[in-house]
Amino acid sequence: MNSSAQAGVGSGALSHVYIHHPSLRCNIPESNGLFYDDANRLLICTTSSQVFSWETSPFNPDVPPSVDSISEGPILSIRFSLDKKAIAVQRSDCEIQLFNRETKQILNHKCKAGSESILGFFWSDSPLCDLAIVKTSGMDLFACDSMLNSLRLVETKKANVNWYIYTHETRLVLLASGLQCKTFNGFQLSTAGVVRLPRFEMTMARSESNSKPILSAGDLHLVTVYGRIYCLQVDREAMLLHLYRFYRDAVVQQGSLPIYSSKLSVNVVDNLLLVHQIDAKVVIIYDLFVDSRAPVSAPLPLLWRGYQVSETSSQAVNKEIESSESSTSNENIVMYEDGWTFLVPDLILDQTNKVLWKIHLDLEAISASSSDRTSLLEFLQRRKLEANKAKQLCLGIARAIILERRPATQVTQAIDVLVTAYSYSVKAGTYKEIKNENATASTPTPGASPDSERHRQSGSNIDEEVEMNLSSGSQENMFCADEQQESQLSSPAISPDELYKFVFTSVEEMMVEESEYLVAIITEFLRSISAEKLKVDLNIYVMTIKLLAYSKRFAELSLFTTNKIIEPSKEVAFQLLDSGRQNIRVRKLGLDMLRQLSLHHDYISSLVQDGYYLEALRYAQKHKVTSVRSSMFLEAAFASNDMQHLAAILRVLSELIPGFKETSEYYTFYGLLNDTSSSVAV
Amino acid sequence: MGMASMSSGTESLRLCVFDLRRGQHEGQELDKILFFYPPDLTFSTQLSVIGLSEGLITFTRLFSPEAACEVIEAERHSHVFYEAEPDIWMVMIVEKNKEIEAVWRIDALRRVLKEVHSLFVMFQGSIRALLEKEPTGGLVRSHLYPFITDYLNDLFVGKKQQLPSFRDTLKERGTVQMLTLARDAALEVQSLVGVLDSCAGTVRCHSVILFHDLLVSTTLSPDDTVDLFAFSVMRLTTNALSSGTSSWSYLRKGSGSPQISSRSTTVPPLGSGGTLPSGNGSSTGRVIRPLQHDKWSKGKDGFLVTDIWGLDATPTILIQKTQESFYLLTYQYKSLTLVLLVPIAAIVNGELDISFVKQQVIENASTKILKVEEKLSKGWGGENAYHVSGYRYLLVDNDMEVSRASPPGKVATLAKESLLALNKLREEVDTEKNRSKQEKDMEICIRAKNNTWVIARLNRGKELYMALEKASETLLDATDSVQRFSNRYCSGAFPMD
Repeated sequence: MNSSAQAGVGSGALSHVYIHHPSLRCNIPESNGLFYDDANRLLICTTSSQVFSWETSPFNPDVPPSVDSISEGPILSIRFSLDKKAIAVQRSDCEIQLFNRETKQILNHKCKAGSESILGFFWSDSPLCDLAIVKTSGMDLFACDSMLNSLRLVETKKANVNWYIYTHETRLVLLASGLQCKTFNGFQLSTAGVVRLPRFEMTMARSESNSKPILSAGDLHLVTVYGRIYCLQVDREAMLLHLYRFYRDAVVQQGSLPIYSSKLSVNVVDNLLLVHQIDAKVVIIYDLFVDSRAPVSAPLPLLWRGYQVSETSSQAVNKEIESSESSTSNENIVMYEDGWTFLVPDLILDQTNKVLWKIHLDLEAISASSSDRTSLLEFLQRRKLEANKAKQLCLGIARAIILERRPATQVTQAIDVLVTAYSYSVKAGTYKEIKNENATASTPTPGASPDSERHRQSGSNIDEEVEMNLSSGSQENMFCADEQQESQLSSPAISPDELYKFVFTSVEEMMVEESEYLVAIITEFLRSISAEKLKVDLNIYVMTIKLLAYSKRFAELSLFTTNKIIEPSKEVAFQLLDSGRQNIRVRKLGLDMLRQLSLHHDYISSLVQDGYYLEALRYAQKHKVTSVRSSMFLEAAFASNDMQHLAAILRVLSELIPGFKETSEYYTFYGLLNDTSSSVAV
Repeated sequence: MGMASMSSGTESLRLCVFDLRRGQHEGQELDKILFFYPPDLTFSTQLSVIGLSEGLITFTRLFSPEAACEVIEAERHSHVFYEAEPDIWMVMIVEKNKEIEAVWRIDALRRVLKEVHSLFVMFQGSIRALLEKEPTGGLVRSHLYPFITDYLNDLFVGKKQQLPSFRDTLKERGTVQMLTLARDAALEVQSLVGVLDSCAGTVRCHSVILFHDLLVSTTLSPDDTVDLFAFSVMRLTTNALSSGTSSWSYLRKGSGSPQISSRSTTVPPLGSGGTLPSGNGSSTGRVIRPLQHDKWSKGKDGFLVTDIWGLDATPTILIQKTQESFYLLTYQYKSLTLVLLVPIAAIVNGELDISFVKQQVIENASTKILKVEEKLSKGWGGENAYHVSGYRYLLVDNDMEVSRASPPGKVATLAKESLLALNKLREEVDTEKNRSKQEKDMEICIRAKNNTWVIARLNRGKELYMALEKASETLLDATDSVQRFSNRYCSGAFPMD
């Protein structure tokens, strides 16, 4: 995919979060309502007798809508069933209709008029029930038969309910009660059944003008971050955003974040909390993984980016769409418009202009604005969307801090972050290297995805989407296994081999003069991967030897080798022999390594090269090395101009090899020996 | 032969340092004497000893200009020669007496001379440089006398002199004893080395790390490491700082002899023509005695403190490899001793400050030091860590100047006959090594009178000496035992067939 971003409106503006053209257009003539089904991630537009729905995950602005016909009547809310075989429509505060998409049958459900009202409903994948209806008197749980002919009441949860919130991602429903609507009964409907959470109360500050503030549904946001379930509560009197974390058996307040706008909304992108301060028209990014409640970066406006050039198969259609949308966007794009609705986790619906945007992070901008390299690396290693970009940024940061000759302790911390993250990702099974860049979409594991989604073969401009596995969402999971939609990088983790290849070999060429510093960094790297019991490319040991030899630190080179900091290998042995040209001790280390590795042929050749002919012969005999020709010994001894050596080798070979005296080699070198002796005598 | 002219002294050891380039004119003979021990011998006796030595050196140079006289074996004395610097010779004369176990190996005695000189140069610079600085010789004499005397004090155990004898034949002075590290411990140590180097900013420092009395890491050359290691084990490590003696240390330590102590306060008059050192007081300066006993203690910040170089003065040493002077900072944590060398030039130029470096070590390296000490203590095998059951051995690597041996307590279990035989074997090996300039490969197996096998194997710079007292009858069994030892503990470095 080739793409380049062209900034349109807001060109050159600073931002860490952006939306970009094109958006998903849902402009249907005569439409009377826009809805979002978070369980199926469907954007739904209704007319008097039709239902249009768009898949929003994966996000594809060009996806065509599905169309269903329904009977006429008012629509208060609408949701597809999880298997998409039915559409449920709330007609009034006491009636819900179920439409079977296949058989066209209609099922009506009514509650007792006058004594209770229906507040809403949602579908469930709990084994106990399929549909939950929230009423002012509590919550009814229903099971549907396979043919959708009837609803059977399974259980009723009695409670006084003023309003409720539910997100399918968390499987959590909170029922608000009390005069101030701040007392909650919570239930989680998951594959583990229906779990009742402890009743809890939210805190609200009071002021003189408003001693009894009332909490509304719009002030609460249920989100999932790193597999943990949080509820975010807007406290307008205190101008705080309170965080509550949900466990199976407890609801724990986790602190508060300051807010700067009475109108507020929340998104989650790649496990990061985006708090939109709508009055101030800025968005603040928080990373709840770390204990610190400081923002990841300074508040900046949400940025709209212009048309992104991309390859499309249809040129004519593209031109038509381009001209049409260009006209629209020039006139109407206003950030944080009143008609905007923020949908969990990462969508913005512009009700006025009937468009849907997907929110993106700008990792490069966030990196550029962060000065703490260690925490930045930790941050990037937690990113899973755009994992490859995060990975490249981490590699760039690692190279930069070494080239800038930062203090070794700082580089050490950075290396520890990367090595630890890699080690963890290997254990968690999320690290996979790219094997085939043209891999097609993979089929998800059924167990890994309770709410199975339809996966489509799609063209370009696909934004990677990761869904969390929430089958045990209420329990503490530090990380969730990710469902992978494409065989792309699912983790920004960097293997030791990649660190060697993309960091150390890069900086080595530019830092030969700083070899002492570089050896210290490599040592920290080796210590880090050793602590995590990882392996690394053997070439890093060859590099270390070269660096130590370059700065003539032969004593330390000996220690590195003796203590096996530099692990033995054939390549290492040969590098020691090569560096040992300037230091006999180092050369001997190389020889010893060859022998210890039982590289017989190379050991014998090196012994002969150093003039240890007889020892080489003995070694060859003892280890039955047949790959070495006896003429090698004779030629080397002759070249050394030491006739004693030549005579000794001739004698030893005669003893070791039966029939050697009848060979041409013997006659040749024996003749040479005699000739030389004769000339000396003369 | 010529020993009749020499009176029989009450002392069994004589050691002298003289300069062949001096005192060549009649009446100026005393000029060549730079040091003589015992100091109370008459000048005529000193001149007699030195004259004999000088004559032999001159004579043997006719035949071997590069390697002159090495040893004189008289009936009752051995004269050991060592040319410390060009034309500056050290000669040691020891009595031979089997009854009092005075059985020597000449090379071991020569290594004593070599060590004295190396340590002297490390602290004071070369003898020749001191002579050039003050040609009358008073300066060098005032430095040599207390230094060598302090060194010899270490060789006294009680009132008995304890030069390396046949009982020390499985030791090699002038080599470093190293601690074997697991890879993860080695990485942690190397990480600490990096941190120590960074404590001085961009200035290149050196460090030597010891655990107990064993070397853990060094950034110095092997020669400089040997000298600093010897000094650290003598004076700086926790074993050295504790008042009690430790059998682990290969240098026997004890309290100084009262006899020597009383004499050291008197400097005998030296020099010809009545010229005395006191006459050149301004150029003599203050004499530093780095080898004094009980002069180091641990400060509250973990750094060792001493007033040898003066109150609040930092010790200094000279590295031979680069001829560079360094401040010596020693930090200690439990059994871990860190010797940090900071270039004096960097301090003088204002690039660094000693207290700043110390502060950096405490702030940046403390955590790492704790971790390293913990790892080394966990893997520490104790005094007998390198004992191999059934073997009494000495392993020497001449390239790395490193040795490893059976613990002294284990060696002491050998019979006297075994030790004498092994000592004699080592003498044979020394003789063979001296015949040839290049490395000698050889294997010698000797059966002693008490049926002990004593074995020597040399291979490309590595040496293995062994005594097997309970070996089987045959030579083949003995060599098989050595081969098994070699394969298992020396990674097959001695593959004789």
